[in-house]
Amino acid sequence: MSETPTKRELRQWGDYLLNGFTFLVYVFMFAPIIVVILLSFNSSEFGSFPIEGLSLRWFEKLLANEVIIRAFLTSASLGILTALIGTLVAMMSAMALVRYRVPGRKLFSSLTIAPLLIPETALAVGLLLLLRSLGLPRTYMLLLIGHVLITLPFAFLVIQARLSGLGRTYEEAASSLGANALTVFREITLPLTAPALVAALLFAFTISFDNLTASLFWRPNGIETVPTQIFAMLKDSVSPEINALGTVMVSITIGLSLLAGAIGSRLASQAAAGPDN
Amino acid sequence: MTRYPTTNYLEDLRQRYKDGDIDRRSFLRSVGMAGLSVGIVGLPGTSLAKEKVDEIKYHSWGGVVQEAMRRTGIASFEDATGVKVVEGTFGLEEEVLAKARAGQPGDYNIINSAGNSWYKRWMDAGFGVKLNLDNIPNAKNVMPALMQPFWDITPDGLSALPFSYGNTGIAYNKKFISEEQALEQREGLLINPDLADKISGHNDFQTRMWVAALQSGQNPNNIEDLDAVWAKIRENRSLVKKYWGSGAESIELLASGEVYASDIWSGRATSLIERDPDFGYVDYSKGYCWCSDLLVLKGSPVEVCEEFLNFILDTDVMIATAEAQLYPPSVDPTKVELTDKIRSFPNFDPTGTLEQFAFSDPFYWTKHEKDWKPKYARIEKGF
Amino acid sequence: MTRAETSTKSRGVEVAKPWILLSPSLVILFCFMVLPMTIMGAFTLFLYVDIGVDAPDLGLRNWNVFFTDPYYHYAVWKTARVALITTVVCVVVGYVPAYVIATTRSRHRWLLMLLLLLPFWISFVIRTMSWIHVLGAHGAVNTFLMWIGLIDAPLEMLYTEGAVIMGLVHFLMPFAILNIFVSIESSDRSLVAVARTLGATPVGAFFSVTLPLSMPGVATGALLVFVLSAGSYVTPIILGGPDDFLFGNLIFETIMTQLNWPMGSTLAIALALILGGIIMIYSRYFGLERLTKGLT
Repeated sequence: MSETPTKRELRQWGDYLLNGFTFLVYVFMFAPIIVVILLSFNSSEFGSFPIEGLSLRWFEKLLANEVIIRAFLTSASLGILTALIGTLVAMMSAMALVRYRVPGRKLFSSLTIAPLLIPETALAVGLLLLLRSLGLPRTYMLLLIGHVLITLPFAFLVIQARLSGLGRTYEEAASSLGANALTVFREITLPLTAPALVAALLFAFTISFDNLTASLFWRPNGIETVPTQIFAMLKDSVSPEINALGTVMVSITIGLSLLAGAIGSRLASQAAAGPDN
Repeated sequence: MTRYPTTNYLEDLRQRYKDGDIDRRSFLRSVGMAGLSVGIVGLPGTSLAKEKVDEIKYHSWGGVVQEAMRRTGIASFEDATGVKVVEGTFGLEEEVLAKARAGQPGDYNIINSAGNSWYKRWMDAGFGVKLNLDNIPNAKNVMPALMQPFWDITPDGLSALPFSYGNTGIAYNKKFISEEQALEQREGLLINPDLADKISGHNDFQTRMWVAALQSGQNPNNIEDLDAVWAKIRENRSLVKKYWGSGAESIELLASGEVYASDIWSGRATSLIERDPDFGYVDYSKGYCWCSDLLVLKGSPVEVCEEFLNFILDTDVMIATAEAQLYPPSVDPTKVELTDKIRSFPNFDPTGTLEQFAFSDPFYWTKHEKDWKPKYARIEKGF
Repeated sequence: MTRAETSTKSRGVEVAKPWILLSPSLVILFCFMVLPMTIMGAFTLFLYVDIGVDAPDLGLRNWNVFFTDPYYHYAVWKTARVALITTVVCVVVGYVPAYVIATTRSRHRWLLMLLLLLPFWISFVIRTMSWIHVLGAHGAVNTFLMWIGLIDAPLEMLYTEGAVIMGLVHFLMPFAILNIFVSIESSDRSLVAVARTLGATPVGAFFSVTLPLSMPGVATGALLVFVLSAGSYVTPIILGGPDDFLFGNLIFETIMTQLNWPMGSTLAIALALILGGIIMIYSRYFGLERLTKGLT
């Protein structure tokens, strides 16, 4: 009897240790965010320490700065479209490669993750040369599909890992019970892969939103994304408005993630409950 | 002469509009009539007659200069001509050249380019046009000393007009380096072993080689002992904490106390000293001056671009943009009244001759760039 | 419709289905990757004449330079070392939060996961530059350590290889965590309970059940981190000193600053081939099959 509490204690300490370590990782991940948020309230002309006084002037300037607002809207719409298209395309590929016996499956898998391996600088220049030889202009569509290409490997890897981890037991069970393919997909496959789909959407959006190199080359004239705008501004000086923009975006994200978190955990609990019932 | 009636007429109209002689509505109507009349008469070779230009593209480094230009020159250009200016930014001029080469003619119209070496490069790559200076009356105000290097490269006609000029010199922290020491050592500060790990410099082959040539007692536009230059660059590198790649970075390194001395662009130095008077600025032993220019690229509607340049070279626009970017404008201060703020810039030359400064020789530098740039890239990485 | 008819028809559909599913990604990959890289491949054979000028004078001289010049070999070695350290740190350190989030009973675990992506919302360049305020001579860490009296003079942390690796870890750890999380989350937790009832200690159950089951995620995460860090170039520019550069910096400089596209595309394709080779070796010895184990 005397052994059990000790074990429990040990286990508890183990949990504390793990939670404590996780907390430290979060602190590390958040350090730059905290810096950016602090600096966005700094009244100083320069985007750096020390904090000379608190002020909301950079938020006012941000709201008045059409260029950054426009860049933000471009990046946001580009990110959302990239995430939707990229996840859909990746899901289709993963389904084809995991659930069917396709000849050359390995080749196609490798091809799908190949955009990861090619330095973006080279990919970017290569695509421009291709456009020139075809006499095509740079358009928003080109930038969008380019972003889909860049995010495809990430979305594909996440979804594929989930799909292959699942096995097909549940799907086979459902179809042997007479469900048609669409029903199986909607009732079984989709809920079970939901966590990976959410992860893929998020991944694709953030990667697109944060992409610099490829956007620099592929954007049509007159279009700026947030990263390209910042890159151009760096030449001059880091305007504190950028810090204010960061703060606004983090606030939006926290709001959105509370929402998405609620939806996500509901989806996950449905998914967990689904096959058992 | 195909275009001068419109240009001069528009110029005249714009002046009257600015002076308040005519209201905006009749101003715009007159501008429209001018365009219409040209269209009806159908002057041969007039682009306005043949095809209507809806927009031109202007690309620059962005930032406060761009904002100032948008408020002043670009806005009045759009009002007067009805041509929309699509603005874009870039971080590296190399990026623009790469995209222009991979793209199609007309992808870029006017860019804010970085002086005569770049001008030579664009011309060599076949992107030049010939501007008709008669269509740009304001070009008369530009300092001949700044125009000459461009004429040397394209004697038959310019494709660009100078916009502003700046110097590269040295900023130092007065808490650690006295004014006397700075004035005495100048570029020698960057190889002073007492300042080991407290030095920064521009990560650019031409700046590093220019400084190294001065440090080894040579003429930077005619280096005789190349090995001595490489040796000085290596000496500097061994003492450098971090090379900077952007103006913002140079300020950051100095202001945060990471380094005590560094190359700096004069406009950045002005802003640093405004922020913290503990910093000082000295020129190299031979003041290193450069200019930025507005470059019109092949495939653009040249006459509309000429109109645009004329609006930008307007004195008010030049003053507004110069005060925003802290670099003196390219206009001759003996012909044009400039503000006290501009006259206080550390590299402002009231004579308008720029005789005390040295410019890089674009022929010399672009000839050797192919070999020197990669060589420098290796040395910079310690190889 | 009889049952037999349906099955004949559906067999035809069944054969075509995977190809229909694959077609969008194949079209994108072909037009946006295969064709452009073919053009870049052709460029590796070109002759570099001057800044931004090249001639279609076919030859293997660029490849010859790549294989004989120690400058490039040094860069490959240095990049491999930095990428490997980054990968190990990301996977080992990232495993813990991934495990904690995946096994927590908290309703908010999705929120915990989402929070890890929060740093991505602040533009990469700004995020990386903000480390200057943390690690610098007058940054947060030095100020704190001097304030509590642990050190007298500021530590030199910024503009070192350590700072570069830290920047890369910060950028890439979410990739590792997310992948590990997904694989732990999707593994059958009841197996752990089985192991426990069979007498395994919690630690034993972890090593015999959870860890092996999460290996696909670890493998994917490690691969992503390695490949992405080997291809990066902005982090060393911002956080590194003169000694700190990666192969990606050489590619960027050669293509962008020197406008030497023949050599630049040679370097780019060389990096892609090296990374592809590493993945092949990796899959042979570490069983990338695990990654794709559900394929059959």
